[in-house]
Amino acid sequence: MVSVETREYRAYRLQRNAAPYMFILPGTVFYLMVTIIPMVIGLWMSFHNWTIIRPTKPWVGIANYQKVLASPVFWTAMKNTLVYTAGVVPFQMALALLAAVLLNTEIRCRTFFRLLYYLPVVTPLSIAAVIWTWIYNPNLGLLNWFLRSIGFQGRDWLGDPKIAMFSVMIVAIWSGLGYRMVIFLAALQGIPETYYEAAMIDGAGRFDLFRFITMPLLKPATLYVLITSVIGSFQVFGLVNVLTGGGPLDATNVLVMWIHRRAFGDYQFGEAAATSFILFALILAVTAIQWQVLGREVTYE
Amino acid sequence: MRGVRAVGYRRSRWAVLTGRIAVYVIVAAGAVAMAMPFVWLVPSSFKTLQETVLFPPTFFPRNPTLSNFKQVFDKIPFARYYANSIVTSVIPTAVSVLTCTMAGMGFAKYRFRGRDAIFWTILSTMMVPFPATIVPLYVMISKMRLVDTRMGLIVVGLSSASGIFMMRQFIMGIPDELLDAARIDGASELRIFRQIVVPLCKPAIATQALFSFTSHWGTYIWPLIVVNSDELRTLPLAIPYFSGQYYSFQNLINAASLMAVLPVLVLFLFTQRYFVQGITITGMKN
Repeated sequence: MVSVETREYRAYRLQRNAAPYMFILPGTVFYLMVTIIPMVIGLWMSFHNWTIIRPTKPWVGIANYQKVLASPVFWTAMKNTLVYTAGVVPFQMALALLAAVLLNTEIRCRTFFRLLYYLPVVTPLSIAAVIWTWIYNPNLGLLNWFLRSIGFQGRDWLGDPKIAMFSVMIVAIWSGLGYRMVIFLAALQGIPETYYEAAMIDGAGRFDLFRFITMPLLKPATLYVLITSVIGSFQVFGLVNVLTGGGPLDATNVLVMWIHRRAFGDYQFGEAAATSFILFALILAVTAIQWQVLGREVTYE
Repeated sequence: MRGVRAVGYRRSRWAVLTGRIAVYVIVAAGAVAMAMPFVWLVPSSFKTLQETVLFPPTFFPRNPTLSNFKQVFDKIPFARYYANSIVTSVIPTAVSVLTCTMAGMGFAKYRFRGRDAIFWTILSTMMVPFPATIVPLYVMISKMRLVDTRMGLIVVGLSSASGIFMMRQFIMGIPDELLDAARIDGASELRIFRQIVVPLCKPAIATQALFSFTSHWGTYIWPLIVVNSDELRTLPLAIPYFSGQYYSFQNLINAASLMAVLPVLVLFLFTQRYFVQGITITGMKN
């Protein structure tokens, strides 16, 4: 066989071999530029006394981490973040699953209801928080008016340290429920109708259908929702910053808010970077535990 | 056969009816709770200041007025914030759709050295929380002298892992034969991308564009850090700031909030099926 290495063929082969790299280059570079590279720099920063004011950035070992871990406010923020996660994730998931199951049945205006449930997801969170601040307003708020008109006492929803976190969690559940609902809906629609029919022929009741068909087959979607929700709720910031600013008395101060304040309020960039890595490690650990405990049984058929 | 089916439907007609009513009641109650802030916001944006502080509140404005909207524009450079939001949402959306589609094509349709390693690096960094990188990212942006510039806002949104992943999943569904046929006809790879892949990807591109736009329209933490000057504020920054400054003018806050959320809500209502599609692709295949 004669090789036909003409100039055109060589040019063709070159563009063919280079093509995939050209295709992935911009997307990959822009993406790694805002993830991997900052992480590397952040790791470096977390071991240095890095402030904006001083030009020298001396190596301090793990001093930043020690300082962060010795700070009581950090632990308050940690506790609040965990409380927030424990309060938001299970209820939001349960409500989203309930909504998905009900909106998967044959009811009128199904699409309309699904739309309504999803509206908060597309609403910018900080603006939603402004609207909710008004609803929570102790004097003019809709919520207190409603409670008083049915014979209850109004509360200072965002100003009372005892209930401020609870009020924040309500808004968080409201804002993210629709997204989880759509994932559950998609999973529900992926379950073949024949499974239910077969079980019904065998005499299974409604509850049995849910318990022995729907729930096991929803497991991958549930795990996905759980893991991403936990990751998301460890990063809560905007909502809290607008609703309460972390107050009153640090009652709603969360980890990202602490990072933000240490960096852009106190200019302790090294400490803030160290806290970022603590947060990242925490997220990694919690995700790994969830995978280990729940992920094993998940089968994708 | 009928007898067999009846075993599954042992419930009486009354039980079925009450069950259906219960479903409607729960769904409707949920819908009221979910929609309440919007339902309450819209009429209240047309109320006078006196009426917004009435107790008990009115639902329909007694003297509906448009002056709230006008006053917002008079009191703050609202049009400017709006323009900032549009620029810092549209540009990253357009660029990231292009870069993600290209990258999706690269990862889906070629075998090359390092492909899987790069792809898995991108996927695994999806787990890196954005707030965990903001401090070093800010330092990078400040070294590039982009702090307090529009470019500093735009530059972090030019690509996304979920976008790359979604486009890859979608493009993998395009048959290789189609691309090979074009290659035999002498089409270059770029031309195959432009004239075959992109037209076939339109639904996925629409989905990706909508996701990207709504997420950029609402982005808060990064502008909060990068922007210092008032004239660069985007709506998610400007509205809370405005509500803090004019806290006693609830009518103006309402009008401003309504104007800020309206574009995404309307956009969503017209394009909702793409959202569902997108969540399904990115959510379920993980």
